[in-house]
Parts: sequence; C-alpha cells; structure tokens
Amino acid sequence: MHHRPAVEIKNLRYAYPDGTVALRGVDLLIEEGESVGIVGPNGAGKSTLLLHLNGILAGEGEVRIFGLPVEKKNLREIRRRVGLVFQDPDDQLFSPTVFDDVAFGPINMGLSREEVVVAVSRALEEVGIGGMEKRSAYHLSYGQKKRAAIATVLSMNPDLLVLDEPSSNLDPRARNEFSELLQSMRITKILVTHDLPFVFENCERVLVMSGGRIVADGDSFEVLSNETLLAEHGLELPYGFYPSPRGKASEARNREMES
Amino acid sequence: MKHVFLDEYSDLRSPVHQLDPRAKLVGFAALIVICVSTPPDRYAAFAAYLGLELALVLVSRLPWRHVLKRMLVVLPFILVVAAFLPFFGEGGGSYNLGPLTLSAHGLLVLWNVAAKSTISVLAVILLSSTTPFPELLKGMEKLKVPVLLTTILSFMYRYVFVLMDELQRMRRARDSRGWSGKWFWQSKVIGHMIAALFLRSYERGERVYAAMLARGYGGGTHTIYLYEFGAMEVGFMVMLVLFPLAARLIS
Repeated sequence: MHHRPAVEIKNLRYAYPDGTVALRGVDLLIEEGESVGIVGPNGAGKSTLLLHLNGILAGEGEVRIFGLPVEKKNLREIRRRVGLVFQDPDDQLFSPTVFDDVAFGPINMGLSREEVVVAVSRALEEVGIGGMEKRSAYHLSYGQKKRAAIATVLSMNPDLLVLDEPSSNLDPRARNEFSELLQSMRITKILVTHDLPFVFENCERVLVMSGGRIVADGDSFEVLSNETLLAEHGLELPYGFYPSPRGKASEARNREMES
Repeated sequence: MKHVFLDEYSDLRSPVHQLDPRAKLVGFAALIVICVSTPPDRYAAFAAYLGLELALVLVSRLPWRHVLKRMLVVLPFILVVAAFLPFFGEGGGSYNLGPLTLSAHGLLVLWNVAAKSTISVLAVILLSSTTPFPELLKGMEKLKVPVLLTTILSFMYRYVFVLMDELQRMRRARDSRGWSGKWFWQSKVIGHMIAALFLRSYERGERVYAAMLARGYGGGTHTIYLYEFGAMEVGFMVMLVLFPLAARLIS
C-alpha cells in the first residue's frame, strides 16, 4: 500500500453563500501521527477550513482524508474517521443525556446495542468522566462538558481528532488537565485556537492562517518565536511567555529555575 | 443557573422507577382514559382510582410534598373555572346557600371535573416523576410516536434552560445599562431582545445540525433502548388497566 497522508488539501477555495470569501487557495499536507496547531486572527478562515475536513462544507479544490476524496459517497466513512469537536460544548452535546450524546455517533455508524454501550463507557473513561452517562449535559461543569464533547467523537474510534478552540473558557486548572488529556491521546490531531501557549504545549507543528490563506507553516518554536510574523497577522504571545526550543513550556520553566 | 427540572425525583430508585417507560406510558394513559370515561356518580370507582395512585406514590417513594406542590401548580386553573358551575347549572333540584342557589346537576358537574382532573393530573405527575424525560421519549419512540416529534421534544428538554440562561444574561446586560422599563419607548427594547434571542437560537440550530452531521447523522432514530419488557411490566400494566376497569364495572 502506498503512502497516505492523514490530510491532503490542494488549492481549496470557498466562498459563503452571501459572497464572503473565506478560503483563497489552501494547500496542506498533514501526516499521520502529527499534532498540528492552526492559529490566526478571527475571520482568517480557520473554522471554515475545519468544516471541509469532513464535508460539512464543500468548496472548490481537492480534499483527501487518509486517501479518500471528500465527496458524497465517502462521507460516512470520512465522518467516522474525522472526529470534529466544535467550540461550544452546548452545540456538541445536543441530546438529553450524556450517554445519548456519546452514543449518537456509534449508532449512526450502525453498531449493535452492546457495541454502543461498550464504546460509550470506554470513551467516557478515556476522557476521565466515566459513570456520568445518565447526567444531563446541562448539569456538567464547563470542563466536564469539554471532555464529554471529546468523548462524543472518541466513541466513533476516529483516526483524526479536530478540535475548534479546545481551551476557550476553561479556567487554568481545567485548561492544564485538558492539555494533559490531549497529550495522552496518541492520535493525529488538529487544534484551531488563539491560545498560543496551548498550541505550543500540544503541537510540534503550527500553521498560521490569515485572509483565507496559510501564511506560515513550520516547527512550533520557529513560528511562535517569530514576533514579526505573529504581529503581522494580529497574533502575539501572552506577556511573560517565552517559547523554548526544547519544545515544552514546562521545560522552559525548569531551565530557568536551574540557572 | 439553577432551574427546576421537569422530571424532578425521576432518578430515585424504586420498583416503579425501574419499570420500562412503555409500561408506564400505556398504563397511566389507560388509567386516565378509564377515569375520564367513568360516569360521575360512580363514587366508589373514583375512590379506587385515587387509592391506586396513592399506593403508587408510596411504592415509588416520592416525597408527598413534591406531589402536592405539583398538584397545586395545575389544579387551581381547572377548579377556578369549575367552581362557578353549580351556580349556573340547571335541573336535578337545587339547594339554597344563603342568597345563592346551587343546582344539584351543577354540583355533580363540579365533582366530575374536580375528581377527574385530580386523578388525571396525579397520573401525569406519577409518570413524570418516576421516569426521566429522556427515557420517556425513548419509550414514546418505541411506541411508534413519530421520530420528528420526539426529536423536537428532546431538543426542547436539552435547550430550554440554555435559552433561559441566555435570556437571563441579556436581561442583566440590559438592566446594567439603566433600563427601567417604565417608558413606552423602552418597550422597543423587548422586541429587540426577542429578535436577538431568535437569531441566536437559529444560529445555534445551525451549529447543532453541523455537529450532528459531523457524527454521521442521516435522519432516523439516534438512541438505543436499554429496557426489557418483562414480568414486572406486564404485572404493572395489568394492575393499571384491569383494577380500575373492574372497579368501574362493579361500582
């Protein structure tokens, strides 16, 4: 079998029905096992790009997921393989109970009753909220909702996890725990966010999007330490945060303590 | 924010709570139909229905306070209307109550409305307090209620409080900017709020639909049913159908 990248996008263009052009020719190659951050100002086209990964939107150009072109006859398989988690967990969790939400994908995939039950409890365990099946999403804390949202796609056993603004609205502790959870998951990941330190902790590779194009693509340290590039596209690192070439923010802190 | 849920106490554990929702749906519906179709002068039958329901409240370990509170929410509306009936009814002789005249027929109608609404409302309270709403919906789906309808109800259950929270936040934002609601021209603001709430809900609808598609939604049912219709269920239904039926025929 020849080599198949997780995501392969060629010259993708998209304009919304009202005429707003969101993507102006995106080329992208993501290999299996990579963890990629996509950053950029509001309106850069990041979320629009995400919605192309599983065919919710379809623009001009070519999108392939694990070699499969994103077109109608492949949608079922592609939506199983791409776990897309939306920003607001209240959008992701639309069923009356957590169980029903996590079971939604597996049921649509046509799993049997027993398989669904197993998949649900496994997914909830994996994100650390096992036993909350019967709760209503409304009664979960925000951090728990975020975890449940991830469980709703993990239960489909995806090969690519796509997260829109995973760290937004989380308090520092929940954010750290969430970051650890993501790092513990060995699966190809795409994270879209404004939270640059979060990207730095979780991704080796960063893409900068601006005006519907990918304007930078490279190693996290190199991209995120390029202040001119960031400033040009309306981004900046939080005050007091200095990326270190060794990769992890925690290591940077340790080194400072040693010196 | 804290809201009172529709199905408060439905997470208790009792023999009634554990029953298949289908049995409860059909059983209580049957009880209501039998009760409503009973001629008003079969007093013993009504006593039997009420006795059966009170026994169920005991078995299901629902707090009496909760049951009474729920009854008080619904019953006054019905009774206020019915309370005037004895004064306007005709026929069947009459009684004098000071300056007022009560008609015996009217009294019977009042009794009829009061007894039947009490028993029916209690049946609904029993159903909703012993069955979590999501399970109730699944039961309805299993009983061939159209999926479209149960889906709408399920979204309502999920989002009604999210919307109420949203409204609450908008209200706070409005009041923080000195809105008093005293002047006629300020009423325009309420229109704007309704429009904003509509737009937000509409947009949420679109996002939720995208989230459903992303997980392979293609219409149709999207829940699984974990209940078995066993001996307990059969027993429960027999009790809820045959006992009232017998009481009605004998009395």
